[in-house]
Amino acid sequence: MNWAIWAERLRVPICAALLLGAWQLVYALGVVPEKYFPSIPTIATAFWAMLNDGTVLSAWAVTFGRATVGLIGAALLGVALAIISDLSPVLSRGIRYISDVLQPIPPAAFVPMAVFMLGLGTKLYAFVIILVTIWPPYLNGVAALAGVGSVQLNTGRMFGLTNWQLLWQVKLPAALPEIFTGIRYAATISLIAVIVAEMLAGRDGIGFMIFKKAFALRTPEVFGLMFLVGLNGVLLNGLVNLLRQGLTGWHIKMMERPE
Amino acid sequence: MTALLSTSAVGKHYGSGAARMPIIDGLELSIAKGEFVSLVGPSGCGKTTLLMCLAGLLAPSEGQVRFNGQLVTAPPIGLSVVFQDYSRSLLPWKSNLDNVLFGMRRVQLSGPEKRARAVEILAAVGLSGFEAHYPWQVSGGMQQRVAIARGIAAQSQLLLLDEPLAAVDAQTRADMQDLLLDLAKRFNQTCVLVTHDVEEAVYMANRVLVLGPRPTKVVREVIVDLPMPRDQLATREDPAFLHARHEVMALIRGMRQGKALA
Ligand SMILES: Nc1ncnc2c1ncn2[C@@H]1O[C@H](COP(=O)(O)OP(=O)(O)OP(=O)(O)O)[C@@H](O)[C@H]1O
Ligand SMILES: [Mg+2]
Repeated sequence: MNWAIWAERLRVPICAALLLGAWQLVYALGVVPEKYFPSIPTIATAFWAMLNDGTVLSAWAVTFGRATVGLIGAALLGVALAIISDLSPVLSRGIRYISDVLQPIPPAAFVPMAVFMLGLGTKLYAFVIILVTIWPPYLNGVAALAGVGSVQLNTGRMFGLTNWQLLWQVKLPAALPEIFTGIRYAATISLIAVIVAEMLAGRDGIGFMIFKKAFALRTPEVFGLMFLVGLNGVLLNGLVNLLRQGLTGWHIKMMERPE
Repeated sequence: MTALLSTSAVGKHYGSGAARMPIIDGLELSIAKGEFVSLVGPSGCGKTTLLMCLAGLLAPSEGQVRFNGQLVTAPPIGLSVVFQDYSRSLLPWKSNLDNVLFGMRRVQLSGPEKRARAVEILAAVGLSGFEAHYPWQVSGGMQQRVAIARGIAAQSQLLLLDEPLAAVDAQTRADMQDLLLDLAKRFNQTCVLVTHDVEEAVYMANRVLVLGPRPTKVVREVIVDLPMPRDQLATREDPAFLHARHEVMALIRGMRQGKALA
């Protein structure tokens, strides 16, 4: 009956079908040699084989774990820094310069230096992920905290809130929706950073696997893993959304209300 | 009789040096328990600034504010402001009930007692059944009443109302005026009402304080010699009402002309 409603409900399968269809079309037209652009069934078979020998699952768990832990760390740190910046304008300006310099540097550029400094291991991942992932939560946090209205703050003070209570009970709840916008960006960045770090300096994880398979010219496997990375993004975004709904559900409802 | 709220030579300026802008200068007022006092004055003269100083939300640059005899240095218990921008003063992540409970943080009651009291006050402002709604789910007039309920619920003795009825239509306005008067009596609230509307100032108050242009101070006190409760028809036709209204309007018109000539 109502196409719009069905299209909305089936948007994920529709998008997936369109993507796979376009892929198959390019394949069928033979624009790229099959060796570098295998068909969907070939990719699926190769991926299935990797699933069965268990390598993919463990690599996925490692990579997704790193991206999630990295995101949590970067988000907490970013918000904490934003709170400190909100308290101290001087510090805020200082961090602003640092972020202006660090933000344009891609994660790949951090890896070699990090390898020398921190070796190959958890510290390397923590360093690279946090350095590139922290900025959206931090910058959104600073803007959101600065944007909390003076009427709201005066209301809190009128009812006897201390500065500390004002921060927890008024400023942070008011700023949280905007902070989550930053965390959603950060989720994607964290995932990219993990894959890049694994490719350049890793001994495990999906990034490492992609690198290995690419060198062995196992194209179907490489593409299968790339799809998996994309799925990771969807999954991580889904988790962030769940948390956002739990913590700022009021804001989502407020934005969606008809009027 | 000792005053509930009083000021001595309160002054306030914003900025310093060349950018120094005096807003209030040598302002004296005294409000007794149980009074309903209206404040009128030219727009931008510093009425909101004055209320912030009275409430302990802004420190006066000179002079003192006393509430119940105590020097006001921070927002005291027993004094609530209903802000001009009431819709932004409600916390959108809290339900109407929770907003009222937020105002009761410093009230010495148990949790269930607080809840019962909050529900009672919301009912008194006509919001039974809207306790679980969020402020943004109810109309502007209802938000205003949530803000008033929250002010009263904070164990308030003195309500400072900053143009609470500026944004509502004429009929709602009349109803809200009577509701406010009723609430003031029922919950023993002393009220200070800032308004642009001279008729409203006189209708609501025992006393109208006319503020001068910036830097502002009280330039005239007009006693409204009319019995409570007020009546939208009878009160507004009473000679005492018309007399008080005339006096306030003439003063304000004089100020406006003075400004136009200057
Ligand atoms: N934080 C501030 N810093 C500097 N100037 C301010 C500040 N707040 C208000 N002012 C100025 O002080 C003057 C008085 O403002 P205030 O809001 O107290 O007036 P008001 O009488 O309440 O005005 P209105 O009738 O519009 O409500 C205005 O000229 C305003 O621009
Ligand atoms: Mg004002």
